Amino acid sequence: MTAPETSAGDVDPDEKFQQYVVPELDVMYRVARSLTRNGADAEDLVQDTLVRAYRAIDRFDGRHPRAWLLTILRNAQINRVRRKRPELLDDPDATFERYAADDDESLAPEHVVVDPVFDAEVDDALAALPEKFRAVVELVDIGGKSYQEAADELGVPVGTVMSRLHRARRRMRDQLERAGFHRRA
Amino acid sequence: MKLFDRLFRRKPAECMRVAEVLQAYLDGEVDAPTAAEVSAHLEACRDCGLEASAYEDLKVSLGRHQDPDPDALARLRSFVDELADKEQA
Repeated sequence: MTAPETSAGDVDPDEKFQQYVVPELDVMYRVARSLTRNGADAEDLVQDTLVRAYRAIDRFDGRHPRAWLLTILRNAQINRVRRKRPELLDDPDATFERYAADDDESLAPEHVVVDPVFDAEVDDALAALPEKFRAVVELVDIGGKSYQEAADELGVPVGTVMSRLHRARRRMRDQLERAGFHRRA
Repeated sequence: MKLFDRLFRRKPAECMRVAEVLQAYLDGEVDAPTAAEVSAHLEACRDCGLEASAYEDLKVSLGRHQDPDPDALARLRSFVDELADKEQA
């Protein structure tokens, strides 16, 4: 007995790729940059991920494309690290020791899972802000300017900088919570 | 949080005061006595501590923000355009 085809399965694979994968290129590249810490390696990693995603697109159900792609990307990165250090495959004890002693943090779980994905979501939330809110976040949080410097640059009172900053952060936080990032113990 | 405040979903006065200056505190824009007061409250009050941590995570992440290299993204887009041809060849 064969399972009935899902509606996503009926769509042309190239169309599915354009629809689900291409809009995530930016996020994939950001996460790859964080994982590899090197622009050229990041591009290779995204290309590797794109090839794998293309070959698997007929099995993708169309839900959560970002999570699906980032899982492929992380697996591709783990394979790349293993290819560079084949000894990791041979001896499980050695693998563990290397893992524990490794000064390259790219394999540590918090770096593989939390930071790059969180950063990518934060970047997304930043891009979604209206221009006047984004401007204060760029000056204060990214540029490290004081309220007074930001106010001078924008030609608005310090109080306006503070209220825009507050509202901008509130919006970003709401978006992060909708994306599943909660600070709840 | 006191029972009355919980029932009426009201934050205690101290939490409200801290909430007012929390953003400025995280940005290092409050004077030393205020910073000490806020810091002590965040240690003692779990709700405000979590609230502060959430905003701190956001601020730290923004500090790492880098615009992606537009040339790299353009190359990746061309890679996507050629991918179907390569894979089907």
